[in-house]
Amino acid sequence: MTTAVWDEPNLVQGDQTYQTITDTVCRIAENPRPPLAWFIAFAISSSIAGVFGLLIGYLLITGTGIWGNNNPVAWGFPIVNFVFWVGIGHAGTLISAILFLFRQNWRTSINRFAEAMTIFAVVCAGTFPGIHIGRMWMPYYLAPYPSSGLYMWPQFRSPLAWDVFAVGTYATVSVLFWFMGMIPDLATLRDRAKHPIRRVAYGVLSLGWTGSATQWRVYEKAYMLLAALATPLVLSVHTIVSYDFATAQLPGWHTTIFPPYFVAGAVFSGFGMVLTLIIPAREWFGLKDLVTMRHLENICKVLLATGSIVGFAYITEFFIAWYSGNQYEQFAFMNRAFGPYSAAYFTMFLCNVISPQLFWFKWFRQNPWAMFVVSIFVNIGMWCERYVIVVTLSRDFLPSSWGVFTPTPIDIAMLIGSFGLFFTLFLLFCRFLPIVAMSEVKHVLNHEKNHPHEIIEA
Amino acid sequence: MADKQTKPADDDAAQPKLLGLLAQFPDADELVTGARSITDAGYRRVEAYSPFPIVAVDDALRAKKTILPWFVFFCGASGCLIATLMVWWTNATETTVPFSGYAFRISGKPYFSYQANIPIVFELTILLSAFGAFFGMLGFNRLPRLSNPLFRNERFQQVTTGGFSLMVDADDPTFDYDAVSAALTSAGATFVEPIYAETEGLRVPGALFVPGAIVAVLALIPPLWIAASASGRSELPRRTIWYDMDFQPKFKTQTVAPSSLFADTRAMRVAVPGTVSRGSLREDSEYYQGINPDTVAGVPRRGAQFASYLAEDEPASDDGNADEENAEGERADPAAQPAPEPEPNWVTEFPKEFKVSQQAAERGRERFNIHCAACHGKGGFGDGLIALRARELQQSTWVPPSNIHTDEVIQQPVGKLFATISNGIRKMPGYKEHISVEDRWAIVLYVRCLQRSQNAAKSDVPEETLKEIQQKNQPAVAAEAAADESPAKKEPPK
Repeated sequence: MTTAVWDEPNLVQGDQTYQTITDTVCRIAENPRPPLAWFIAFAISSSIAGVFGLLIGYLLITGTGIWGNNNPVAWGFPIVNFVFWVGIGHAGTLISAILFLFRQNWRTSINRFAEAMTIFAVVCAGTFPGIHIGRMWMPYYLAPYPSSGLYMWPQFRSPLAWDVFAVGTYATVSVLFWFMGMIPDLATLRDRAKHPIRRVAYGVLSLGWTGSATQWRVYEKAYMLLAALATPLVLSVHTIVSYDFATAQLPGWHTTIFPPYFVAGAVFSGFGMVLTLIIPAREWFGLKDLVTMRHLENICKVLLATGSIVGFAYITEFFIAWYSGNQYEQFAFMNRAFGPYSAAYFTMFLCNVISPQLFWFKWFRQNPWAMFVVSIFVNIGMWCERYVIVVTLSRDFLPSSWGVFTPTPIDIAMLIGSFGLFFTLFLLFCRFLPIVAMSEVKHVLNHEKNHPHEIIEA
Repeated sequence: MADKQTKPADDDAAQPKLLGLLAQFPDADELVTGARSITDAGYRRVEAYSPFPIVAVDDALRAKKTILPWFVFFCGASGCLIATLMVWWTNATETTVPFSGYAFRISGKPYFSYQANIPIVFELTILLSAFGAFFGMLGFNRLPRLSNPLFRNERFQQVTTGGFSLMVDADDPTFDYDAVSAALTSAGATFVEPIYAETEGLRVPGALFVPGAIVAVLALIPPLWIAASASGRSELPRRTIWYDMDFQPKFKTQTVAPSSLFADTRAMRVAVPGTVSRGSLREDSEYYQGINPDTVAGVPRRGAQFASYLAEDEPASDDGNADEENAEGERADPAAQPAPEPEPNWVTEFPKEFKVSQQAAERGRERFNIHCAACHGKGGFGDGLIALRARELQQSTWVPPSNIHTDEVIQQPVGKLFATISNGIRKMPGYKEHISVEDRWAIVLYVRCLQRSQNAAKSDVPEETLKEIQQKNQPAVAAEAAADESPAKKEPPK
């Protein structure tokens, strides 16, 4: 008599040793001639990033009139892009911190990747409010610095001040978490480096890490504490971002569903972006043994779960609008779905709610091409979601103050430009830093060698 | 560049200081076993090196637990405290000391409440805890330490890739080269070699430190000087960092602009022909203000106020705050006011735009019950629910609402009643933003009805109604009905 046994595929596939893992990962950063695809991608994305820089310069000289922001929709594209990019960042911290706390070993091969994505996404996110503050050469006004003679402080009861603290803390903690995770791997790169400049650069970055048991002991504790701190932090960030909207007394915004719905949406969009990045990266950099189909399948399942939560939230919003009996709320939602921006609304609904449902079928969870297409849909859908929420401003209480928001070409160019910045940073990361957490993968490998998966027949 | 010595060195005077013995092990499990046998042999200054954390090796090395969590907790608690103090100091206090806070009220909310500050306090707690974890990790590990004799050993460079090493420190009290070497070999080490302190290498010349420090300090002077001159109290012209912030190209209203800007040199532009400014169509003062037009120009509200300011300046009339109230407002205690302002010429008849009718009175009753009755009471006796409640609580700051049936109010012209409803009086707010002009006149009409109802003579009641009332009251209290001037049904005047 045989019983069915849960047979998990190995997280590290192929005949791997510590040496082969190190070689696979370090080769990417050490290779003097990266693949041609890297150069092409870098040339494209860095020129787009350069255009972004030029547009910011144009904005500095000319002013925010170059954007489509107008009187009802005072926030426009900058806030849409800000919320979109902050949301992308969430998957990185979620994979690194929350899955670490839940002892999900499958995170180890993708967490570095996702953390880097978090940081670059937060860089892009921080750019938009940074250039939207009017006098953008005085960003230090956001900080509570003691100014002599001015007696001026931030207004700490404002959600916009909360945003500064939330996103600032998030960026700082993400960088610390990312960098601390990289220290042992940077030490590996240091020890393998031949060229003196590389040796010094990696030597300084690895801070003199030796891998002693004392160091590992403190390091493991610190890493666990940082994960435990990052977990509530990541949930708080998009909650506070949603307060920007939810504390405003506007129909369609003033709802208590916003914090959980924003957090679920952020995780959803972040995992979508992880998929978008990791499918080509594992192909180009030969990481298929470390980032296995099981990893991709797990990401798809997270997308399915969070996408369903987001869909549920959309429907709940409509139900509550009807149930509240508030005609302004009802109008706001009817206007979202059937007003002048209905195309964005239905794109959002199709991309965010319908497309991840394909992941119920195993074929879609096993096919990288299908996954890639869905992940692009998710990215588009989540951008549209923020757009739909923000342009709700165009029709509030008084028809006399209604207006229509139309993005200018500069708006669109800056959105594309932020992608250029993101991919430029990401390609540089892939080129020079360890893109897979080697020490953690070796830990998993050691664990799997000692506890091999056996098909038990009884 | 690595030290490849494998045999005990000769006792040479030039030989560098021995730091310890480094042994290689094939894998994690062997390392743990080896470490355990070495510590069992009595050696205490033993350190293991591995490419990933090995939990069992801590036990084998008899290592103590780290106190890092307590440090992180301390940092988090400091973050919580600092954030609370910062928010309280900057937003809820205001003193004269330097870097004082600025207490400002937002939407009538308290200056300080923990609820509104949860996000800031939470974020700073996390931030400082994270700093504690990261910098605590570096501090407890004595990192960064960029120079380490181990890094010069070729085999040690394998550790971060896949090597497992054990090092017995030469500082160990029981350290003996041959004994340790033998112990390591028997513990399963595949290779044992000594590690020596560094004797050669590049050092920063000490003579460079002093000039370097001087240059660093001097480099700070220009930015500090600019910062000081931009905000100091010197009598010399101030240096500006942000020119367009200090000097903004603009012309204020009522000033002269250069003729190159506008031909008429006026900075303030006249309105575009055909512009209708807000409220400018309300020229009919009888209807919109309750004042006869012939006197509006003479003693308008603002004019009266201005006149009272002038009077205040003269030493003879020492009347303090006499002009606090509006010119058309009635006084709470007229006797206390030494110089009552001239009253506008109130209209005494309803303006022609307002049609006095039964319908209008009904409308007035409805509006009165909505807007006025809460304080003044449905009958206008000043006994609304709010007034009763305030009296019950003995609110010291409460000004009781007027009883509209007093002689003083009855004698007021309708224009004045209209103005009181519109602009308020004493603690009563003005209602012109809430109630339309038409409805305000309707309320005046209803107030007149109420007043009439309380002061009606028997002759005011129509014959039929009088009979009806008498019939109703006869069986019950005939005597009373005869004595009383029975309450008349309200009826519009005229």
